[in-house]
Amino acid sequence: MMHVYWLVLPLVVAISLVYAASRHESWPKIWWHAARLCGMLLGIIVVTTAVLLLINTTV
Amino acid sequence: MTRTSLSLRNPYKAAFLAWLCPGLGHFYQGRTGKGILYAVCILSLYFLGFVLGEGKIVYWRWVHPFHNPEKFCLHYIGQFFVGLPALPALIQGTLSYLDIRPLFWGFMAEPPQNVINGLHPRLGKLVEVGTIYTTIAGLLNILAIYDAYEGPANPELEEEEQSPLEAAANPPEEAKLEAVKAEGSA
Repeated sequence: MMHVYWLVLPLVVAISLVYAASRHESWPKIWWHAARLCGMLLGIIVVTTAVLLLINTTV
Repeated sequence: MTRTSLSLRNPYKAAFLAWLCPGLGHFYQGRTGKGILYAVCILSLYFLGFVLGEGKIVYWRWVHPFHNPEKFCLHYIGQFFVGLPALPALIQGTLSYLDIRPLFWGFMAEPPQNVINGLHPRLGKLVEVGTIYTTIAGLLNILAIYDAYEGPANPELEEEEQSPLEAAANPPEEAKLEAVKAEGSA
């Protein structure tokens, strides 16, 4: 069964695309901004989860 | 494309249409690509969340937010901005408040308390995920509404995307100032 954590992906992709589209009018800029934002959001989520897991397992 | 060359037609009408159905305001403005992007992203997020919550997570009840905060549907404030797909909940909530029977077999009406209580044990985290999806979809549509009303938010594209001919015809303010200074000193 698919893990519930995978459900963060469509959310992050949709947020990135809509935000980038609201900032730019040209498509290359929209795609580039969305890709950067998507990577950044996922990076922050992964790092935060890793830190919380680390704290949780050492407590 | 510069902001001045971007035709927003009637921005109020475009904003209203963008609220009514995500992407519709952009179709009205002839910005078809963006309309498709907004419609696909926002509506798929909304309907995916709706399905995850088995259609029981989008509802509205008329209660005072300060007198009865436990009953107040804060999530619907976000969901409302998806427009037409979330509007039946507001209609059903109003009918219920006026003691009128719900329409369409209670579709998107407030579920009975035992049904709401039974959602979490049965579906677990999916109820929360569904609520987050539908609420975020509405909040994202606020960005789309603003884009339909005002155009893209980033002002840098005006200068970068000007063609050389347009740039020569409309020099930036700093270049104009420098030209005036050079004339003055000569």
